[in-house]
Amino acid sequence: MTSITHTWLPFLYLYGVGGIFFLIGLIIIRKSKAVDMKKKRHRFWFGVLIFGFFYFVVLHAIITLIALYW
Amino acid sequence: MEIETKNIETTFHSIGSSSDWIVMVVYFIVIMLFGSYFGKYNRSTKDFFFGGRRFAWWLIAFSIVATGIGSHSFVKYSAKGFEYGFSSTMTYINDWFFLPFFLFGWLPIIIYTKIRSIPEYFEKRFSPSARFLATILLVFYMIGYIGIGFLTLGKAIVPMLPENFSVLGYQFDVTLMGVIIFISIITGIYITLGGQTAVIFTDLLQGGVLLFAGFLLFFLGISYLGGFENFWNLLPVTWKLPLADLTKPPDFNFIGIFWQDGVAGSIGFLFMNMGLIMRFMATKSVDEGRKAATFNILFMLPLSAIVVGNAGWIGKALSISNPELVPPSTSPDQIFVVVANIVAIPGVFGFVMAALTAALMSTVDTLINATAAIYINDIHRPIVTFFEKGKEEGKGKDKKELAAARWSSVVITALGVIAVLAFKNFPTVYEAHGFFHSTLTPPLVIAIFLGIFWKKFTPSAVISTFIGGVAFMIIGLHDPNLITPFAQGIEMNTEHPYSYIRALYNLFVCGAVAVIITYTTSMQQNLVVKIKSKINDKEIIYSLVSVSVVVFVLVVFNVGLVYIQLIGVLVLSFVVAVITKYFVKYDAVAQTEGLTVWSLVKAKEGFKGSKVNEEEGEIIKVTWKIKDGDDDIANFSQNDMRKMKANVGDLIYLCDARKILGGLKSVHTVYGEPHNEDGVVLINNEHLLNGVFIKGKLLTAEKEM
Repeated sequence: MTSITHTWLPFLYLYGVGGIFFLIGLIIIRKSKAVDMKKKRHRFWFGVLIFGFFYFVVLHAIITLIALYW
Repeated sequence: MEIETKNIETTFHSIGSSSDWIVMVVYFIVIMLFGSYFGKYNRSTKDFFFGGRRFAWWLIAFSIVATGIGSHSFVKYSAKGFEYGFSSTMTYINDWFFLPFFLFGWLPIIIYTKIRSIPEYFEKRFSPSARFLATILLVFYMIGYIGIGFLTLGKAIVPMLPENFSVLGYQFDVTLMGVIIFISIITGIYITLGGQTAVIFTDLLQGGVLLFAGFLLFFLGISYLGGFENFWNLLPVTWKLPLADLTKPPDFNFIGIFWQDGVAGSIGFLFMNMGLIMRFMATKSVDEGRKAATFNILFMLPLSAIVVGNAGWIGKALSISNPELVPPSTSPDQIFVVVANIVAIPGVFGFVMAALTAALMSTVDTLINATAAIYINDIHRPIVTFFEKGKEEGKGKDKKELAAARWSSVVITALGVIAVLAFKNFPTVYEAHGFFHSTLTPPLVIAIFLGIFWKKFTPSAVISTFIGGVAFMIIGLHDPNLITPFAQGIEMNTEHPYSYIRALYNLFVCGAVAVIITYTTSMQQNLVVKIKSKINDKEIIYSLVSVSVVVFVLVVFNVGLVYIQLIGVLVLSFVVAVITKYFVKYDAVAQTEGLTVWSLVKAKEGFKGSKVNEEEGEIIKVTWKIKDGDDDIANFSQNDMRKMKANVGDLIYLCDARKILGGLKSVHTVYGEPHNEDGVVLINNEHLLNGVFIKGKLLTAEKEM
């Protein structure tokens, strides 16, 4: 049995602690108006940033599941 | 092939055949000629370093691949892939967290403020003294990075060479340093001749070759093992997991690598790697830079992770299925070369090796070019300005600077070779690089990051971070027990204590100094007022400077008990803040406007020189005609300006309409008064020379702002 310290704990640490940094980044660029949500182009980029975060979450989760059960 | 077993590691010599060497030499000659050809696009230091801010996103994104792969290298990730499996990929898939900060913070600031180097930002945002200290730290960082690049190159080439060879009866031993010196000469030649445009285009070529070579090797390895199912079934489950164990072993654990690479490394790579930053500065606009960075992290880095690590995975499978062919004790840093030689036929092996060494050269040449930029901007130019005030201006000065840039590239290459000595005793390149990142990036990472995102951050705080933070880090180097509370259960390896997690300690101490000093600004102000009110204020300040120097030197030489050193450095940080406050004039409004994320609109206006025109217009195609005069102005017809929704004084980007050129032939200029001939742009001779436009070829015209 593979230890959870090698499977899901690093995953949670990565997207938990990393997620905090990411969220702070999103908040700062919104509050500072560096991202102006009135602009179509900026709304696009904001969406890309959020998509990218979940893209990597799913990528790591899938590889972990494949490693464990395939 | 010669196999030698020293201690417990098996090392290899004379891998490969003469046909491999022929392929390698031909490849290198082609790359050097290709790079040197683009030397003609360097008409000024601006072109030499930044490629004239002209390129399309895709060209930059692909050229970054070669730099990214090279800097993280086939050698070190194959080594960790061989030792620990797919978790070698984790450092390539943890860069997204800081992208909001980069895309909407640092990237627009570096482009709109027109800074030429990171230290220049420190002068604008803080003070010349902050620039001076940032230059020192950054040059250390860059030369260290070059050293790591050369070390990796040497380790890749040595297994292909015999242990010794003779020329005219004299016998020469093949040593790591000897190989590195030889490679550095070749690297130095085309970077010196070519400049940034050469780097971008050779990297574009090499990026493609690298991806192809990496996947080719993976395919050949899988075939050699009898198919993907065999390969998959040979590997133990722990080898297939994408992330390392949380805290063990000390030389490869998740938490340590997260803080060293995911935090310090990612910020370092995006925010203070001048090589990478100069690539983004070479894009034609901020939006193109965003596209290049996003595409690179979303798609190219995960692919690169497979490209650079798969030789280690194949090596692991081979060591299980055929331990006589690949002994499990094989030196991890040699596994890439060993596997490539086994699975590839002669000639193909030479091609793979050429791609590997070329990748490393890409990284090294990018870094040399970037360090030369720092030298010119932050050392050469201020010194020349100081000694020759107003003596020479314009093109004569620029010609001299271009020559100085080329010579500085040579010197930096030599210093990079010397830097190898600091890293060559680590067991693997991966650990050397990890230690390097953990140790050299935190002070600059904290300083840049807080400078961009925290308006309250002061010159006193940044200089205290550089001096006090570094002093705390040195104490941590002397006494690794200080790092234990940050280790989160990671065991200490006494030989190389806390190579990775020391990044967290270093970030913490630098961050703590920065925050404490910022929040005690009023105390420092009161003290400075009191000191200035004394008749002997100069003596008091110079005494404080002397005490600070003494404390710093005592810490460097580890004199005194640790807790006394800690208290001493805490006091030192505050004293440095007071000294800075005494000397530095700081305007908290003027020196943050346009220089932090909170005032990007001002930065944009500063870039243009007037109010920004945000209306979205069409991109049109035009023919060009030459006009007299040397004003930096291009004239369009009234109708064309209406289509582009442009006004006189707006900024425009003119580019050869052939998309395949990626903006190589292009120029930035300003809209002048309109004429009446639709579909025609009037440009002057200087535009023609800078844009390298060809007669009869259409241009695209795009309003910037």
